[in-house]
Amino acid sequence: MASSLASVLERLKASKTSYLYILPALIGLLFLILYPFAYNVFISFTNMNLGHIRNFFLIGFRNYSYIFSDPDFLVIVENTVIWTFTNVIPTVALGLLLALVLNSKVRGKTAYRMFLIVPWAMPSFITLLIWKGMYDFQYGVFNRFLGQFSIAPINWLGDCHWAFFSIVVANIWLGYPFMMIIFSGALQSIPTELYEAASIDGAVGFRQMRHITVPLIRPTIILGLLLGSIWTFNNFNSAYLITAGGPGICTTIFITQAYNLAFGGLLNFSVAAAYAVVAFIFLFFPGLLWTRYMGVTRQAT
Amino acid sequence: MTSSSGSQWTVRKVVQSVLKHAFLIVMAVISIYPVLWVVSTAFTPGETLATGWHFLLGFLPLPNSPTTDHFTSVFNLQVTGGTFADWLRNSLVITVSTVIASVALTLPAGYAFSRRVFPGRAGLMFSFLLPTMFPGVVTIIPQFLIFSTFGLVNTYLGCIIPYTVGSFALSIFIMKGAFDSVPRDLDEAAMIDGASELRAFWQILVPLTLPSVATVSLWAFMGSWLDFALAHVMLQTNNMWTLPLALYSLITPNYTYYGTFSAMSLIMAVPVFVVFMIFQKYLVTGLTAGSVKG
Repeated sequence: MASSLASVLERLKASKTSYLYILPALIGLLFLILYPFAYNVFISFTNMNLGHIRNFFLIGFRNYSYIFSDPDFLVIVENTVIWTFTNVIPTVALGLLLALVLNSKVRGKTAYRMFLIVPWAMPSFITLLIWKGMYDFQYGVFNRFLGQFSIAPINWLGDCHWAFFSIVVANIWLGYPFMMIIFSGALQSIPTELYEAASIDGAVGFRQMRHITVPLIRPTIILGLLLGSIWTFNNFNSAYLITAGGPGICTTIFITQAYNLAFGGLLNFSVAAAYAVVAFIFLFFPGLLWTRYMGVTRQAT
Repeated sequence: MTSSSGSQWTVRKVVQSVLKHAFLIVMAVISIYPVLWVVSTAFTPGETLATGWHFLLGFLPLPNSPTTDHFTSVFNLQVTGGTFADWLRNSLVITVSTVIASVALTLPAGYAFSRRVFPGRAGLMFSFLLPTMFPGVVTIIPQFLIFSTFGLVNTYLGCIIPYTVGSFALSIFIMKGAFDSVPRDLDEAAMIDGASELRAFWQILVPLTLPSVATVSLWAFMGSWLDFALAHVMLQTNNMWTLPLALYSLITPNYTYYGTFSAMSLIMAVPVFVVFMIFQKYLVTGLTAGSVKG
């Protein structure tokens, strides 16, 4: 009796210290992420903007109906979807191809790897601005390069389609090393005995690839696609630093639209907040899948 | 018959190997090309690069007469009331504080999630993961509004606090994973021998998980040393700028200082690059640990 009471007390006490360990981080999470998130949702239902910074009031779904009836909205949805797919698929494909080549018999792997990893190791904030410089119409390296073959300079960042193409290329460049690294890891974990056994059975080349490699690294491919989609959708730097969403709204995606509305001089916080909520809804399901996939919330050991 | 098929095999092998190397060489050049360009530009005289450089082999940009002027002009840089010394100091204060705060807060939380069973554990872990599903702007707008009511806009804390909290999602789980990989017997034995929990944590668990502590520090460092989106909003006067804001100001539609920009890029990127190359193994492990285990 006394011992069971003691054990209950003990457990409570143990839990108390557990909560204490987490408390400081939890306070930060509550006040800086969860509360602001709720506040963002609240703002999206008000008229908080330049004219009503302090004296704003609830206006229901008017910001949302404004967004959905705005012709720009469809362009931005289209941009966001195209942006995500044109980035993720080539990034994963290129990363996988590089990993496969580096996993086969080829000399100088270590040296190649060192070079191939550079886009990942260099800070993206800086390399994106470097890309911006390389795309420069007058002085950029690409137009000078084309000039050698008497090709007319391309307005990389000033033309709607070229601008989109340019930021996609820069973002693919940023992304493939990480994919290469995770695929290399997955390929190295496949036991070589499997390939040996297959060779003895007469399966070589593509058949080994189809029946051994692809099935065994499928989870990593899914992880790459999922992570890649979330990162691309959310990649403020890639979508903002080179073009800032322009020209016009040619390269504007959800998050840059929200940022520009709030801080681009208009201080249109309420519509920006509504855009952020829409972006969140788009991201929520892949995000949920990812946390499931990572299995991090599972009870460990 | 046998010899002909054998020679066919080698021809095929040679072709394959040539194709592989061609692919790898092209990709390697593409991978380092922007770096080559920025190094070349940093040493090319003049700010806008109209002339003063040429192509080697038709694609490698090289300065005609290299100069180190741009590096000295970085240190003398000022933009209406803000100097390079200001920006370096601001960046260092914000970054060092963020790293310390992040490590101090994520280690105990990771420990609790790894070693303790308590009511609400799964729910709490999930709530720390939740922010990974938020687009950054969902929190930047309200954070800015909340901070402006508390007078924290244009202060160091206005950046340090969000950066620290922003590092939680990844760092807490990296530390939890690291502590999970240390056998429980080790710290339990120490506690049976009379060591306090704090001492067992500090003298057994932390030394065994130093690579992960380093990874957590590195993530906090990179998140704050190179952040643009939040700093651009929070730090409004030129003397409060961090280095990324100053760097961004060097290429705007109105004026482009590519020479100084390139030199400054190298000054900012090289330390990160070196640290990153040293720690890259741990960085990948930290990110994918969950998927391997799950």
